[in-house]
Amino acid sequence: MRGAKSAKWVAGAIVVALAATACGGGNDKGDSAKGGVFRMGITEPTAIDPFNAQESEGSLVAHNLFTGLYKVEPNGKLIPALAESATTSDDGKTWTFKIKAGTKFSNGEPVDAEAFVRAWTRVADKKSASDVAYHMAGIEGYEDLNSGKSDKFAGVKAVDANTLEVKLSAADFEFDKKTVHTVFAPVPKVAGAADNKAYNDQPIGNGPFKMEGAWEHNKKITLVRNDDYGFEKAKLAKVEITILNPNNTSTLEYQGFQAGTFDWARMPTPQLPVAKQKYAPKNQWVEADTSGINYLVAFNQNAPLNSPDARKAISYAIDREAIAKGVFQGMQKPASSVLPPSFADVYQEGVCTTCVKQDVAKAKELAEKSGLKPGTVLDFGYNTGSGHEEWVQAVAQQLKDVLGLEVKLNGKPFKEALSEQKDKKTAGLWRSAWGADYPTADNFLFPLLATGSINEDPATGAAQGDNRGRYSNPEFDKLLDQARATKDAAARAALYKQAEKLAVDTEQGLIPLWKRTQYRLANTAKFDNVKMDFFEDPNLAEISAK
Amino acid sequence: MGSYVIRRLGQMVVVLFGATVVLFACLFVLPGDPVGSLGGDKARDPAVVAELRERYGLNDPLPVQYGNFVKNLAKGDLGEDYTQRRPVTEILAPKLTNTAKLAVAAIVIDIAIGLLAGMIAALFRYSFWDVLITLLTTMAVGFPSFVIGLVLLSTFSVKLAWFPVIADGSFQSMILPAFTLAILDAALVARLMRGTMLEVLKADYVKTAVAKGLPRRTVLFKHVMRNSIIPVVTYLGISFGSLLGGALITEAIFNWDGIGLALVLAIQQQNNPIIIGVVSFGVAVFVVLNLIVDLLYAVLDPRIRLA
Repeated sequence: MRGAKSAKWVAGAIVVALAATACGGGNDKGDSAKGGVFRMGITEPTAIDPFNAQESEGSLVAHNLFTGLYKVEPNGKLIPALAESATTSDDGKTWTFKIKAGTKFSNGEPVDAEAFVRAWTRVADKKSASDVAYHMAGIEGYEDLNSGKSDKFAGVKAVDANTLEVKLSAADFEFDKKTVHTVFAPVPKVAGAADNKAYNDQPIGNGPFKMEGAWEHNKKITLVRNDDYGFEKAKLAKVEITILNPNNTSTLEYQGFQAGTFDWARMPTPQLPVAKQKYAPKNQWVEADTSGINYLVAFNQNAPLNSPDARKAISYAIDREAIAKGVFQGMQKPASSVLPPSFADVYQEGVCTTCVKQDVAKAKELAEKSGLKPGTVLDFGYNTGSGHEEWVQAVAQQLKDVLGLEVKLNGKPFKEALSEQKDKKTAGLWRSAWGADYPTADNFLFPLLATGSINEDPATGAAQGDNRGRYSNPEFDKLLDQARATKDAAARAALYKQAEKLAVDTEQGLIPLWKRTQYRLANTAKFDNVKMDFFEDPNLAEISAK
Repeated sequence: MGSYVIRRLGQMVVVLFGATVVLFACLFVLPGDPVGSLGGDKARDPAVVAELRERYGLNDPLPVQYGNFVKNLAKGDLGEDYTQRRPVTEILAPKLTNTAKLAVAAIVIDIAIGLLAGMIAALFRYSFWDVLITLLTTMAVGFPSFVIGLVLLSTFSVKLAWFPVIADGSFQSMILPAFTLAILDAALVARLMRGTMLEVLKADYVKTAVAKGLPRRTVLFKHVMRNSIIPVVTYLGISFGSLLGGALITEAIFNWDGIGLALVLAIQQQNNPIIIGVVSFGVAVFVVLNLIVDLLYAVLDPRIRLA
């Protein structure tokens, strides 16, 4: 035991020494050919096996272990990976993907159409109880497989070794974009069932990196370059991912970066301005408006916010600019749409008229018209312990000052907050945020605003879907259906824009507040081409040591 | 003595039974579905919730769930957690080891510094050293542990780089968190030691020992130390027990993967199998430690009879 430990020490010392030399000589060609070691911290993921990888930490690992049909650029643009071509039937229900021939998993098994059938069946299987299987709900046969009626995925077929045919139960001309999610990754035969613990902790994939040893829970995950990768190979030799205490992650990452232990770091929000001042001049500051939105859920079906005018009055009364400057010290940017700027084809700045600028006169007028009289009680819920307290109070104060409302703040731990948001009787406002799973407008508009996403439990009346504000308009639902069934990309984008305008501007189904802006520190002194990807992680496969 | 130990261990089973019954009842009345949401900010797919409730027997009535728990516990199986779906014993084992390592290190520092400082203060009462120790212990008691931890970390790890910023479980990364934990307890031990020792120094038997011409060292170690250390042992026993319960703040500051944080997270996420595992373990540890302390009394003071 003692021997093993000290051996580890020596190995650690060697790694440190190697890293130090790599860092010291910028023109040392020998070391950069070897690739270098990139170090970063994350919290313990739920899973790194694609069947259940879900939060950004799990996806970071899974994305680097597996390559699927497509990859995505930070601006939402799709790049073909294993899909050499894709054809769609005119009704938008049948997709045929040609799979690149000759690539292999790191254990030598071929990556063919069968690998996708196997993987997707494994995900949707009832016994897997995958938290992310619902992304496949649009594929024919999902219901039967997910409820245990069948053990085959009827809609997914390997026509031949390199042809994958997917049948959908409803038209969707953007199905290809969904496949950037790691849940659609292919797996080899050795993956076995979803409860294969050995594979869960050491997945064998076909990505730019592979695991070095198994996942050491709560300690670390080490990735090494996959030299047999079927596409442009990674340049880094190794990625060391330290698993950090989830109560203190951003502080530990920031301290680690300052001490030279990490090459990539998040920061605690209050430290952002100081960090920016220190690291922006050194060109180590990474900043991006990513694919997400911070917003207020307005409960559409209960008084007092059961009319568009009342919701608009609230939105007009909020001075987003002042809070962005005062509370967030300029580190959050006001949003005037639900769809983020990173979705260039559908982004409409200012589509939410009430969001653009605080307008006290209009707010009062609309409040008067909709019966939102001074003294009206307005419940305003938020989840505690995630740093929302300060800005929530600022918003509440503005609503008091402008509209004279009696705002009742209601802070709850997350589990309780969730069950209150779902409750049929809940009224007023609730703070919320949404991040994209894949680069489609549908991934915002459908879950947050479509009638189908309320998914009321007949027994309890609780909203089981993500549309907890219960906005519901058949016209909006029809626009989304039409958009999904429209083959032409430009025409489809126009329909999504129209839908967003209807739900967010005309009817103010929810109230956008801030864009999702992310900040990172990157060790550009040691590494070239470090960027934040679509999923807000470093682009490990493209980074190279100087 | 032997039958005393056996009887105390029997009591432990009763205490454990009581604690787990109360715990089960408490967890049952908590609002929210324990498998109803994901670790982050999202509700779980209703189909998955149904499957997991079925798999983990959450649809059974509470007494049945408790029965299953006891049955599995007898086999050393604490079930699977609700998030990662890994065996609870596998999740908790390394965390318990880490916490125990840190607790032992802290208690060693604690005893060394606390006893020494207390003795010096008592023997050289009102001297410069006594005043200094009183001052320092007052300060140590006054500072919250997160302040001490952050100051130590930013000075010795971030600025001077003597210790790793991100703990990796090595001996070197254990020093700062152990000190952070030990400082408060050491101060209390020092004050306790000083107080009881001053009492004992005034006792008749010490005067007698000195009068009959025993060497100073013999008086000190045989008579004074042995009699003044009993309250300190009681205190250390309790303090070691709470150290084994994990130290949330210190663990968070130094990235120490211990039991304290696991419990807090589990409570936030209503990850019941983890909560039950940690609490049952904690109760068992406390009972055993109390037994050890009681046995130590008898060793230190033969007048105490255990029956």
